[in-house]
Amino acid sequence: MATEIVMPRLGWTMEEGTLVEWLKHDGDTVKVGEIMFTVESDKALNEVEAFEDGILRIPPDSPALGSVIPVGGLIAYLVKAGESVPFEKSSTPAAAQSPQQSLATAPSQPVTIAPTISSANGHVMPTISPRARRIADELGVDWKTVTGSGRSGRIIERDVRAALSQQAAPAAQTSQPVEISPVARRAAQELGVDLNELGAKIGDRRITREDVEQAAASRSSAPVSPPTVGDTRIPISRVRKITSERMSASSQITASVTLTTEVDATELVKLRKQLKGDASAANRPVPSYNDLLAKLCSVALAEMPMLNARFEGDEIVMSASVNIGLAVDTERGLLVPVVRDVQSKSLRQVATESAALIESARAGSLKADDMRASTFSISNLGMYEIDAFTPIINLPECAILGIGRIVPKIVVVDAENERTAIRHMMFLSLTFDHRLVDGAPSARFLQRIKQFIEQPYLWLVG
Amino acid sequence: MRELTFTAAAREALTEEMARDSRIFVVGEGIGVRGGNFNTTLGLYEQYGPMRLRDTPIVERGFVGMCTGAAMTGARPVVDFMFFDFILDSLGELINQTAKMQYMSSGRLKMPIVLRGSIGIGSASATHHSGSYLPMFVNIPGFRVVIPTNPYDAKGLFKTALRGDDPVLFLEHKLLLNSKGHVPEEEYFIPFGQAAIVREGQHATVVALGSMVRKVQEACDELAKEGVSIEVIDPRTIAPLDVATVLQSVHKTGRLLIVDENFGPCGIGAELSAQVMESGFDDLDAPVMRLNGLHTPTPYSPALEAAVVPNTQTILQAIRDLLAE
Amino acid sequence: MMTNLSKEQSLALWRKMLLIRRSEEQLAKSYAAGMIPGACHTYIGEEAVATGVCAHLTYEDAVFSTHRGHGHALAKGVPPRELIAELFGRVTGCSRGRGGSMHLFSPEVGMMGTSGIVGPCILQATGAGYSFKLQNTDRVGVAFFGDGAVSNGAFHEGLNMAAIWDLPTIFVCEDNMYATEVPFTDATRNQDVAARAATYGMNALTVDGNDVLAVYQAAGEAIQRARAGNGPSLLHCKTYRTRPHSEGMRDGGYRTVEEVEYWKQRDPITTLKANMIAAGQGVEADFEAIEAEIKAVVEDAADFAKNSPYPDPDTAANYIYSAQ
Repeated sequence: MATEIVMPRLGWTMEEGTLVEWLKHDGDTVKVGEIMFTVESDKALNEVEAFEDGILRIPPDSPALGSVIPVGGLIAYLVKAGESVPFEKSSTPAAAQSPQQSLATAPSQPVTIAPTISSANGHVMPTISPRARRIADELGVDWKTVTGSGRSGRIIERDVRAALSQQAAPAAQTSQPVEISPVARRAAQELGVDLNELGAKIGDRRITREDVEQAAASRSSAPVSPPTVGDTRIPISRVRKITSERMSASSQITASVTLTTEVDATELVKLRKQLKGDASAANRPVPSYNDLLAKLCSVALAEMPMLNARFEGDEIVMSASVNIGLAVDTERGLLVPVVRDVQSKSLRQVATESAALIESARAGSLKADDMRASTFSISNLGMYEIDAFTPIINLPECAILGIGRIVPKIVVVDAENERTAIRHMMFLSLTFDHRLVDGAPSARFLQRIKQFIEQPYLWLVG
Repeated sequence: MRELTFTAAAREALTEEMARDSRIFVVGEGIGVRGGNFNTTLGLYEQYGPMRLRDTPIVERGFVGMCTGAAMTGARPVVDFMFFDFILDSLGELINQTAKMQYMSSGRLKMPIVLRGSIGIGSASATHHSGSYLPMFVNIPGFRVVIPTNPYDAKGLFKTALRGDDPVLFLEHKLLLNSKGHVPEEEYFIPFGQAAIVREGQHATVVALGSMVRKVQEACDELAKEGVSIEVIDPRTIAPLDVATVLQSVHKTGRLLIVDENFGPCGIGAELSAQVMESGFDDLDAPVMRLNGLHTPTPYSPALEAAVVPNTQTILQAIRDLLAE
Repeated sequence: MMTNLSKEQSLALWRKMLLIRRSEEQLAKSYAAGMIPGACHTYIGEEAVATGVCAHLTYEDAVFSTHRGHGHALAKGVPPRELIAELFGRVTGCSRGRGGSMHLFSPEVGMMGTSGIVGPCILQATGAGYSFKLQNTDRVGVAFFGDGAVSNGAFHEGLNMAAIWDLPTIFVCEDNMYATEVPFTDATRNQDVAARAATYGMNALTVDGNDVLAVYQAAGEAIQRARAGNGPSLLHCKTYRTRPHSEGMRDGGYRTVEEVEYWKQRDPITTLKANMIAAGQGVEADFEAIEAEIKAVVEDAADFAKNSPYPDPDTAANYIYSAQ
């Protein structure tokens, strides 16, 4: 087979050379040691010798004299008598590239390297970087309640700065309420404009369709990577971002345990039916199951205040007020408006307030103050046929009650006499923070809730 | 402004200084008639002859000791090791004599000696021709250690080395020798202990040594497309080491990565980390991180050789890891 | 062996040897008294070599020595006060207290360092030769080393370089038969150090190292050759130290009392005096006067050293770099 003659590497760091002169010609017989051609590299002239006997064949497209050839580049062939050369085969161009790759440059193989990176791990939460601590001191931020976004949950500079804007301006809280016309809202949906960002830019006045269209037009689209067919991409909204941060922080910080119990809600169902059927209350909102549960929880929490608690510095604070956050699913995402002082409001009052809050939430007109200071939260997924789930604690609260669907079931009402009946059954899921309160008291609390649901008179009397 | 290769720029410094000071002479294997394996002295022998361009037998300990004696008695030797790995044979002379001579003589003897050679991993040079061995010389009191990464710095730093009265290790990465860059016609000097900020940025600081500067820049170009801006610092000399510039940068960015193809343990990154931790503790938003070459003798096969040094991808990953901390 | 030296010249050599002897005796005494915190390798018995060689040198010539270098320092011109103060660790010592016995530096008189490592002085003297030739001077470099150095790589590399480049360097081997306590006969199959020079194509002479006039003559030839640009030389001076390798070390086990006695009988100082008197080149009174003078000089030096201050600890890190 023909031997390839390539540009040799004539110096440690030589990467290319110039073909200067042929001392042998196409078709010449060459012996070992004879000089075939000369090459210039780094201003020095080098003679290139043959390492075997043979006939020199120079392809017609061989580099011209004076051209610069990379090390390893093909120049000619040495063949034995009778052998053919690739460039005279009509059909297959075969090895157009020299198999002797240039070894002067490292080949682009995927290589994995174990770089030596040092990293810290294994800390008691929360930790804070020295820089963040310094900035917290400088800016007067109490960093102990700040949630860290560093990889190990470490509080870093941006967390402190974010906390500063929250602590200094409580009005500018989790999500920014937005005044917007329905037309503009529809346009924002269609064009994928984040209303919170836009609202923040525009300020106090109502957002118009023109605003939305302008925002969409001036948005610079710079996807990080080229889109693949079928994927949908949405920018991360402010609500999403905040939800994401808060859920993540809660999951990392709390020692959460979820207790579930199945409750006979038949009496509760009856109660609601009665309220619903009250013609004299036609103008007022009918208390929802959430309202009923909020009210009965407030009674239970008054009895067991350790479930209505939070960490504050070195202390645990058990709040005198029961402010209940109601999780509401809206177009923009999860919002949690708060009914304050449920313990001192009647069921009707709670119902009226909560209805107004939910409407505001859905309309996107909740104020920041509406979403502050909750001490306990309720989340109801019953309308989606969910039985039990593991709600995530709404920091800095101690617990959250998850409510499942109410389903008529056949249950045993008298085990001894083997009597069954159809009852309206419901699952409750209570997630509590084991850092603040232990399993037994939490279980007792849930048991009390169960009791209240099964015997409404016990809490209705106040 | 004209472009010169790294080698040509250093050679220009040598040529200028040899013309200016007849006490400068060069010693090494093949640096006479042949002009040096890496063309470090090309053309000088014809001008100055053997007394000033002295081809030596293979006696590294011998000619380092000899040059130490010459430097004590009024001459200004340049020892050209070709491959810096060869300096290891002369460590006894270097550390016990050359480095200590000024101290032992209470400053009455100077030690104007420059020791140069090619360092670094690349070109499948394998384990006896790929070393840098830098940390040792930074650790021993008495040496200046210089690692230029481009032709402009090469000339400016070499001029300073040749004019000074201290022993200087002038280290030229073999993969940079043919790199080109702008070099002014006018004379200029770059003082030791002055790092160069080769790229300004906000989100993190990366200190890169030697051949890593180029690779770090490539990684930063990639990151810039994502809106990530990295500040890149080239120390240029590691003894003395310009920690102040690094501290200033960390004060701005809060994060530091040191990229060095040399071994991690007791390396320049370890030293810099300790100093930044000591003096810039309250500016750190994340732990200082290091990306080093593998702690192994350098293998020959290009597939293995590429695996023991940081590359653009691993540098990218290291920067991302740092930003995620 | 007598050469054509005048009485004054011979007396000058004798005086120098006596200065070395009395200074070394003082140091041995001081060592025993606890005044010297570090090592002290005395030159007693070998005075003729340093004296005979350095008599041809000026302050412009450079001497590089080893751990047994007090004799070279004094012969080259370091004042006894500065030698003793240095060993006492005082700031008035020739190395400002930084060096002690094995790092004596006085570049002002061409004393370019004693050394705690065997070998480097050979290479550095070669370098001095290179430097002097490069600068077109007639200055010479001189290396003093022992039999213990001649198997070291530095010996081979240094002599080879000096020979191929025709450098004005003189290599003086002070063969006292032992490297610490290892006999020369155990260290090499060929104890003929001068014969090694042929390997390098270098001139060499074997000399009775206890005969100062012989050393003087041989050194004169070698130095003259070097100054004339005719290349390096090796002097193999056979001599003996009559005290232990280092003060505080036991001097038994590796050599016999008889051997030491034999060499004490060939003491270079008493030998020269006896020969001079026998040849009518001086009388007892000449020598006594010198004895008295040297005694006073050495006593003064010891007092000076004892009363000198220690260096300021704040200067401990000075002089690492040229800018400091």
